[in-house]
Amino acid sequence: MSQLSLKRLEKSFNEARIIKGIDLDVSEGEFVVFVGPSGCGKSTLLRMIAGLEDVTAGEIEIGGKTVNDLPPVQRGIAMVFQSYALYPHMSVYENIAFPLRVEKLPQAEVDARVGAAAKVLQLESRLQHRPGQLSGGQRQRVAIGRAIVRQPKIFLFDEPLSNLDAALRSEMRIELMELHKRLGSTMIYVTHDQVEAMTMADKIVVLDAGTIAQVGSPLDLYHRPDNLFVAGFIGSPKMNFINGRVKSADGTTVTIDLGSLGTIALPRAITEVAGQDVTLGIRPEHMRLDDGGFVIETTPNIVEQLGIHTITYSTLSSGEPFIGLFEGNPDLVESKSVRMGFALEQAHLFDARGLAVY
Amino acid sequence: MTSTRSATLFAFALLAPALIYILTIVAYPLFDTIVLSFTNASLRQEYDFVGWANYQRIFTAGNFTEVIIRTFVWTFFSVSMKMIIGMCGAVLLNAAIPGQTLFRILTMPPWIVPMAIGIYMWAWMYNGQFGMISGLLENMGLTSGPIAFLAYGHTAFWATIVTDVWIGVPMVTIYFLAAMQSIPRDLYEAAWTDGAGRFYRFRRITMPLMVPAIITMSLLSLIATFNSFDIIWILTQGGPSGSTTTMIIDTYKTAMGSRKYGEGAARAVVISIFVIIFCITYFRAVRKLQQGEAK
Repeated sequence: MSQLSLKRLEKSFNEARIIKGIDLDVSEGEFVVFVGPSGCGKSTLLRMIAGLEDVTAGEIEIGGKTVNDLPPVQRGIAMVFQSYALYPHMSVYENIAFPLRVEKLPQAEVDARVGAAAKVLQLESRLQHRPGQLSGGQRQRVAIGRAIVRQPKIFLFDEPLSNLDAALRSEMRIELMELHKRLGSTMIYVTHDQVEAMTMADKIVVLDAGTIAQVGSPLDLYHRPDNLFVAGFIGSPKMNFINGRVKSADGTTVTIDLGSLGTIALPRAITEVAGQDVTLGIRPEHMRLDDGGFVIETTPNIVEQLGIHTITYSTLSSGEPFIGLFEGNPDLVESKSVRMGFALEQAHLFDARGLAVY
Repeated sequence: MTSTRSATLFAFALLAPALIYILTIVAYPLFDTIVLSFTNASLRQEYDFVGWANYQRIFTAGNFTEVIIRTFVWTFFSVSMKMIIGMCGAVLLNAAIPGQTLFRILTMPPWIVPMAIGIYMWAWMYNGQFGMISGLLENMGLTSGPIAFLAYGHTAFWATIVTDVWIGVPMVTIYFLAAMQSIPRDLYEAAWTDGAGRFYRFRRITMPLMVPAIITMSLLSLIATFNSFDIIWILTQGGPSGSTTTMIIDTYKTAMGSRKYGEGAARAVVISIFVIIFCITYFRAVRKLQQGEAK
């Protein structure tokens, strides 16, 4: 049985529909990441689960019980806020103990739970400090500590790492993953950072304008995106898209006219796309500098040398931007023509509605 | 001329307009008042230096000590009521209630209406024959006849406080409201998620985070209320029988009523000493609060 179920969930602010009928099941112990661009409704969805936003329509079930009308504290959730939401006038101890004080637990119990959380989060030496005296990472840990002591069924994280610098973010990312392993709790995590989503999630929920664009494991989403939105959103640099028209689709091969780039034949057991405008997708990291597969000749406008990678930014003769990512430091210079190719099995195909054709 | 000296001169040149302004408007009158307080200045053209005589007189003859105590009592009740009502008002105006903007606008009239008009309005309301308050109490059967609030010492004392509170509350409310709104919403949401009710959130989050605003406003209000002149003067002129005579009224009466400028100046100097103590307390508190924030 799923621990959290969202059924036809909707949310409107006046006339604006923010969440447009979401169905989702989350199993116990899963690490689920809601990812999507700004304004897609991911934080609103999390706040609805937390009980901080009313539900316009649909149902939220936690542990098989509808919780739409229950206050947050009765839902068995704990939330970590983007801003950490630490009480600046209280010590770290009191911040972590806050939910326990609300519950009026005996002091010995408070001491035991705060002590255990502080040990897990390596905050033991900081318990008497104020939040203002802590680093960003430590503040984040205090916020997590406040969630841990409540022993919730579900942890909710609202972009918890977005206020940290890049180095600390990757450090905290690992700490959160370790914490998830140690506690084994269900965690729902909102982020707009696809690296966080890809590295942390058991299951990613990609949101687009209040609807679910795709749900799946990180590698599912990377290798088999359901649509153009997910294909463009997952992966960095983003997938290249080339517009074309299907010349023929005989049930084994789809032949696509890519204009000045030539014609490409992809193995696809489909006939319905014949004559349609389609989009060919190819990830920058799947481009090779040898002549294998389908070859594109292009002139990079910009070449970025990152040591481990080299990235070229070009514009195709059709006007579409085209990015190539190559291992190491190949001899690539700006304004000098280069031939790059990709294996046909690495190509993605999307029909006129933007849906993937496999 | 060395470059350091030239830089210092340049700095003084830049400060000169402000310095001249302060010396002319603040420092000179203050100095002159102190000098005057050691003289027997009156309407006569000449006056003599009398040493500490004025100070000895005000503390030995008459009821100056009583006036000081009355001033502190008057100020204490007025400031306390402003703080309590201002805080309650801010809480209500901060609550998500329909018509919130209208209520916020309705808070302002006592502050916007010219002070003299507001005070005269209260003088009419306190009137025994035509006053609204007396009539209302009589109609409700709470009093047996008309009460002229400003005609009796104890009622006049509280009447002047109520008027001062009425005029002072809007600023306190708006200040507290601004301070309340600067508390991040996330803190309340986090507390609510943890099960904290409205009163618990107010007690453990709002109040502690409002302490800097409460201290600042209390001290500013203390200084302003301690020096409050127009309300008492228009309502009672310090009467009846001196029951609403505070230090500032007493000073005015001595200097301008009895034309004892030297003695009036001595009383003014005593007021200044108290106000300076309040100001030092205020600046120390502000510095301490800033240091606390910086931690």
